[in-house]
Amino acid sequence: MTVKSEDYMMEEEPYYRSVGDEIDLFAAAYLNRIPVLLKGPTGSGKTRFMQYMAWLHKRPLITVSCHDDLTASDLVGRYLVKGGETLWVDGPLARAVKVGGFCYLDEIVEARKDTTVVIHPLADDRRILPIEKRGEVLKAPAEFLLALSYNPGYQSVLKDLKQSTRQRFLALEFSYPNRELETEIIVHESRVNEEIAERLVTFGEKTRNLKDRGLAEGASTRLLIHAAQLIVSGIGQAEACGAAISAPLTDDAEMYGALSEIVSSLF
Amino acid sequence: MSDAADKRIGQLREGLEINLKLDFMEDDEIRDIFDEIASFDPSLRQKILALSLSLSHASSSFVLSTLARIKKARHILSLKSTEKWLTNAFDLLDSKGIDPFIKFISKADDTEALRKYQGTEGLSLQSILPRLEAYIQGISGLGLKVVQGKTAYTDTAAIYLPALMNLYTAQDENFLIYKLMVVHQWSRIACSSLVPEDGIVRAFVKKQRNHPDIDSIFRNFQEREFAQDLYVILESIRSREFLVAELPGLMRKTDELEKSVFEERPHLESLSGKTAVAEGLFQYYLCGKTKGPMPAEVKVIFPKLKALRQAKSTSSTFELLFDIYHAGCCITGKYEARDLSFLGTIRTDKVSKFLRAKRTEKKKNYEGMINRLLSAPEMENRKKSSAAKTETEERELKPDEKYLVIKGKIIELDSELREIVEERQGIPGGILVKGSDLGAGSPVTLADLVAEEEIAEGRTGGIPYDEWDYKRSGYKKHWCSVYEHDVYPGHEPFVEMTLGRYGAYIGLLRNKFEMLKREPKILRRQKDGDDIDIDAVVEAFSDMLAGLSPAEDLFIRIDRQERNIAVLFLLDMSGSTKGWVNEAEKEALVLMSEALQALGDSYAIYGFSGMTRTKCDYYRIKGFDENYSATIKKRIAGIEPKDYTRMGPAIRHSITLLQSVEARTRLFIILSDGKPEDWDAYKGEYAIEDTRKSLIEAREKGIHPFCITIDKEARSYLPHMYGEANYTVIDDVRKLPDKITEIYRRLTT
Repeated sequence: MTVKSEDYMMEEEPYYRSVGDEIDLFAAAYLNRIPVLLKGPTGSGKTRFMQYMAWLHKRPLITVSCHDDLTASDLVGRYLVKGGETLWVDGPLARAVKVGGFCYLDEIVEARKDTTVVIHPLADDRRILPIEKRGEVLKAPAEFLLALSYNPGYQSVLKDLKQSTRQRFLALEFSYPNRELETEIIVHESRVNEEIAERLVTFGEKTRNLKDRGLAEGASTRLLIHAAQLIVSGIGQAEACGAAISAPLTDDAEMYGALSEIVSSLF
Repeated sequence: MSDAADKRIGQLREGLEINLKLDFMEDDEIRDIFDEIASFDPSLRQKILALSLSLSHASSSFVLSTLARIKKARHILSLKSTEKWLTNAFDLLDSKGIDPFIKFISKADDTEALRKYQGTEGLSLQSILPRLEAYIQGISGLGLKVVQGKTAYTDTAAIYLPALMNLYTAQDENFLIYKLMVVHQWSRIACSSLVPEDGIVRAFVKKQRNHPDIDSIFRNFQEREFAQDLYVILESIRSREFLVAELPGLMRKTDELEKSVFEERPHLESLSGKTAVAEGLFQYYLCGKTKGPMPAEVKVIFPKLKALRQAKSTSSTFELLFDIYHAGCCITGKYEARDLSFLGTIRTDKVSKFLRAKRTEKKKNYEGMINRLLSAPEMENRKKSSAAKTETEERELKPDEKYLVIKGKIIELDSELREIVEERQGIPGGILVKGSDLGAGSPVTLADLVAEEEIAEGRTGGIPYDEWDYKRSGYKKHWCSVYEHDVYPGHEPFVEMTLGRYGAYIGLLRNKFEMLKREPKILRRQKDGDDIDIDAVVEAFSDMLAGLSPAEDLFIRIDRQERNIAVLFLLDMSGSTKGWVNEAEKEALVLMSEALQALGDSYAIYGFSGMTRTKCDYYRIKGFDENYSATIKKRIAGIEPKDYTRMGPAIRHSITLLQSVEARTRLFIILSDGKPEDWDAYKGEYAIEDTRKSLIEAREKGIHPFCITIDKEARSYLPHMYGEANYTVIDDVRKLPDKITEIYRRLTT
């Protein structure tokens, strides 16, 4: 099967606001062929950043969402049977290596540990992908880049990244943007007015205060944007915050009650 | 309502109408009276009608005045309490006649007297505590606890609120009052009302002492209560802008409420001088006006109040406070404190106490650091010449230096230590001496031995255990006697309260622990198993066609990885755990029990304390064979600090208990707050060595001990006593409940 790299090209510029020096760091890593690890809570812009980087560096972006049934052949490729004939199909990783694109493995901790080992030879200075079944070794071109994302917030012992994997990457830390930036992002993404966006940001901050005090995670920028979008569509502010922010964050009635009280105190 | 009731009401109305007409009342006046009665809650109407009828036999004027009072009572009391009050009045009329009745009912003019009739219905703090605590923690971003107290105040770490709120019949409004209370208390913390800058405090305290705080300022006032109330109101005026900016939604809702509170407040002319001053200020806070003129002496301050709103620091508040206070004190009459509704009160003594405790904690922490410093590995004597410096010079740390020289020892500083030393610009001598003293042993004296025999008198049947004597490098045979008891059950609903407090967190915790349970896992691509792995077969088939050797792992197997863990928690119940430590230990146990209940690991909880070797008490809270029942919960509530910490025998007895349990992994978690110490010679090195030895014994017997220590002092001996990897130190006791579950999770996966 032939792969057209155009299929994976970003055509429009994705909206992305830089939080720190991550764009420069990424460029330097790319230049030096160091794979990158994007760390940060959910909804803090990791995936959007990758899209933006792919657009900026004009490379195709191949994203794989990892899950615990992801096998090595899902990544590398496998033989399929077609009319009594066998047909080799490249997996996303092999495809990305061949076209010299960005391969982005989203939520890598979700993948099985034996699967993550496949990326090891690609992630050090060898930059090769052995395809055992075909007895082939793919050498990654200079344009190829491997990126992983990982949410340390899960802090699950069962789902921690192995040191041998970790220590091959350059890590870019993502966190929630500061007030002004987050307001700007919400306004841009939802076209809500600035005053409401600011209040949403305040509410977001308050929920982040409750992290580990009953909430597993504070509201992400993504959730705040959802609420803003609901408000723009004519939903009441309190209802929008409830449905888009409080309810996704918690199932606990008391905690939901407390969040609702905070909303009513802020708006 | 039933027909019979309707009929009765009809009869009452008729009777009343006849009586009123007999008293030459006009028709429209009578209609007004009936309208008035109709405005009451339906359940009260019949009683009010009956009362009015009885009164109308005497005079219709009584009816009018009584109705006005009932209205007032209803305004202040809840429905149930009004009913109670009314019944009381009616009984009085029936039994003692009209005069006592009039006397009783006219008491309704005094709001405070009426409040006594307020029953216990209303909104209880307990029922909303988890929600309120999460609310204020979210808003403030501080780990503020909400605790029940007599009035609303804060010591800057916890916010105390009254147990019951029944100012309104609607629970929503009662909750709003609670919310306002908690928010106002937070504003005291956020606007540093209670901990003004050092400069401000020093400016207003006459007698300069060590560590002056807000309590020192208020101790100077003769009329302390007057000054404190003034300060509460003034600070509320100052912090209003802050609250409006932070919580616009809440403050909007408050406007209504403030108006209704204002309506309830008394007329200034009915109050004595100072009381009128404070009351007037409060009314000004509520609505920007006062009922009646303020005493002339303080009128001048009003323009200044406007400026106070923009004031950034408490300095302006104190200036104004002194102005008003001095003006107010010129007016004669005693100050009678009136409730300031949701503004609450300030308890400067509590703030002061908390600040003191914090200082002590810091100092202890500091001592611990120095201890660590002294026991830190010596660096290469790179700078030999510096050893010759005088002692005072040695204690100084030059900026940017990573080394500290103490008595010729060159010690490398880690970042934490450096920070502290730089902050203090050197190490105070006193602490240095104290630090090096820690861990010193003391010899056994004959007096000690005699005394311990006396204590043991009358006790038999203890379980004997050996004790390790490091000096003779051998065991003292049957040296200690361990007595097992059950913890006396406590009656406080401690477990329920903790569950309430940690409501949402416990949900998360259970989830986390359930994840450890290891659901039966489907293993793909196995050599043998229960079912065929279709994916693998397809792949093997295609490999075969492609001319490769096909894989042989074509089966799916379901793997049940069962946990087989028994854990014993051993709790330090020594006297030193009194207060927060004991509280945190108990909370930790509740959370742990919840988590383990979800996980299904077999667990036991024991506590230990005692005094001397002949009286080592070992308390059962939950045995391995017991279920987590109401009895266990009561025992957890009943855990109390006792005497000393003789760790060796308690550990050895725990080993015996753990060995009797069937399990693949035996875990032994010790919770303590410091180093082992008993009343007799069991201290210092001896105690540390014995504890160390007993832990080694545990490991020899295949038990995994792990120690959690809440201790800031003297960390130096810990690695030696517990073994490098087998302990953790928690510096903030309040984090214990969260940490312990995390530690357990880490240990057992």
